[in-house]
Amino acid sequence: MAKTVTPGAIAMLLSNPSPDSTSEIAEIIVQVVDLKPIGSSTTRFTFMASDGKMKIKAMLPTHLSSEVNSGKLQNLGLIRILDYTCNTIPNQTDKALIVTKCEVVSPALDCEIKSEAEETATLLKPKEESVPKSAAQIVYEQRINAAPAARLSMTRRVHPLCSLNPYQGNWTIKVRVTNKGNLRTYKNAKGEGQVFNVELTDEDGTQIQATMFNEAAKKFYPKFELGKVYYISKGTLRLANRQFKTVQNDYEMNLNENSIVEEAQGEGAFIPETKYNFVKIDQVGSYVNGREVIDVIGVVQNVSPTVSVRRKINNETIPKRDITIADDSNMTVVVSLWNDLATTLGQELLELVDTAPVVAIKALKVGDFQGVSLSTLSKSTLQINPDLPETKVLRSWYDSKGKDVTMAPIASTLSSISTKTGQRSMYSDRVYLSHITNDQTLGQEKPVFFSIKAYVSLIRPDQAMWYRACKACNKKVTEAVGSGYWCEACQKNDDQCSLRYIMVMKVSDSSGEAWVSVFNEHAEKIIGCSADELYRIKSEEGEEKFQLKLKEATWIPHLFRVSVSLSEYMNERRQRITVRAQAPIDCSAEMRYMLEEISKISIS
Amino acid sequence: MDTSSPAVFVNAELLKMHVGKRVRTVLQVARNEGGVMIGQSTDGQQLTVKGGDPKGFPLSHYVEVIGIADGNQSIRAEICTDFGERFDAVSYNGLCQLANGKYKNLFL
Repeated sequence: MAKTVTPGAIAMLLSNPSPDSTSEIAEIIVQVVDLKPIGSSTTRFTFMASDGKMKIKAMLPTHLSSEVNSGKLQNLGLIRILDYTCNTIPNQTDKALIVTKCEVVSPALDCEIKSEAEETATLLKPKEESVPKSAAQIVYEQRINAAPAARLSMTRRVHPLCSLNPYQGNWTIKVRVTNKGNLRTYKNAKGEGQVFNVELTDEDGTQIQATMFNEAAKKFYPKFELGKVYYISKGTLRLANRQFKTVQNDYEMNLNENSIVEEAQGEGAFIPETKYNFVKIDQVGSYVNGREVIDVIGVVQNVSPTVSVRRKINNETIPKRDITIADDSNMTVVVSLWNDLATTLGQELLELVDTAPVVAIKALKVGDFQGVSLSTLSKSTLQINPDLPETKVLRSWYDSKGKDVTMAPIASTLSSISTKTGQRSMYSDRVYLSHITNDQTLGQEKPVFFSIKAYVSLIRPDQAMWYRACKACNKKVTEAVGSGYWCEACQKNDDQCSLRYIMVMKVSDSSGEAWVSVFNEHAEKIIGCSADELYRIKSEEGEEKFQLKLKEATWIPHLFRVSVSLSEYMNERRQRITVRAQAPIDCSAEMRYMLEEISKISIS
Repeated sequence: MDTSSPAVFVNAELLKMHVGKRVRTVLQVARNEGGVMIGQSTDGQQLTVKGGDPKGFPLSHYVEVIGIADGNQSIRAEICTDFGERFDAVSYNGLCQLANGKYKNLFL
């Protein structure tokens, strides 16, 4: 301890920046730290002079550089300052120590001297001084040194689900499993795998979906039980994939084999009441082919036996059972139950069918098979005679009126199949053009069909309006090498071909206008002559007559059945409206339709 | 277009409310007697039309009559027009009701 720095040496030096003579200077020993040459010089060195508490920037004069170069004056060594000056460095608050005379007291010490209190700690880890520690490292070290009780409380500190984010990994949550999915196997390009999801809810009611794959799935599938509470940590979060989102949370969680799942002792299992948002059967039509899943409740009228359906993708056979339910909108609908719902709950329903039980089904996909088809998904749930107010309403309705009324299946009122002469289909899903043009997301996955009443307002004469078609199969032909036309589909040459319309027309109604694609069959009816004939008029009778013929087709109202789809064209998403059927206005039917629409308008 | 004396769209029921005023209606011809035409209104009641075409109109054709209502069930015709055989009486009836009800201000 004799050879050590003088406590408060730096303060002493600073307080007496320009001593007059060497005798005035008390014994000042400092440690040389961060000794380095200035630039590439070998004669000028700079260092930090440390007294264990304070450091000051210092400079060695050239005549002392030999001490450094010879190895006498070493970094971490001690020197006694014999003569010095403290200068103010321009533009800096600190002063610099110019050592004019000094003597080496000690070669390099083991370490930088710090004040006594810290000495033991630093002696333990001398090498790590210059290595910056990450915050995580420091916390980890602190945790290890902390008392055991403190450590336990820290890891058990429960974070609310809403505070979780992908950038903070050290959390523990206490959650109840409010929904448990099935363990599913999947095949993708990388091979086979297993996956399952759970829905977790914490005390505040926040929900999050947690997914596990392969090893983790196998590990945790038996561990998670519906309704039980668990402490979970070491999961990862990421932004939820919109397509598969089932709960209201921006994030979704992933658990791997390293994640920790511990059952919370003493917490009773509680399966929360399923929250339903029922749709009346007569309203189901508006959900067809949409992304939303719906809930329904109704009285079971019929239960079919289980059938096995083979999946096209992997040849797997899955059990399916159809049930027919009715509700007080006086309509019936068929619900397809798949997998477990078909076998177990389906069987129960079959046995109960004579009692006309009420069933509530959650999370049904709405398809358009045979008009309307409701299908269960893996997350669908079915409750028989649930304890809900709607059950009582349906029960009393059915007992008094329902069971005697013959009800129409909703499927019959919806027809997305366009028929050529089907007047009825012209009146289903009647919309204004603005309804189509205002919603650019229509038809993203599958084309959507509508009926419209519109006037053809413009047929541009300068568009390519026809193509050369094979007389036999109507497909496009190319000009053959010699003469005539070659049809790729028929693999034949023909001297003649026919022209078939393919064009766009502008249509208008009271709400707006839109461009629609029209094919031969309908264009003929609109223009009033075949493409061959129009071509003849154009070439033989002249441009004016040709344009007149097109003009004459405008401002005539038609009923159209159109399909709307979203297509990508040169990186742009465009809405395409195509005419699938055309019919002249049936005045009488149109009037009835309008009267009905008028009656729905209320004037305040 | 002469808009000085507009005619109210009526059926038999509404005719009663506009006695003495200029009305228009469509009826299906049941029989012709001299200068009097008798037919069925769009709401199923009998109406009498005086002063129309002496020849009368073909039976079961729909005829529009514009004239002055001079009784609960009769009209003194000024103009008669044959609308032919095909006519949607139900829709016309609906029109009469709307023209005298909620949307009266659009018509007179």
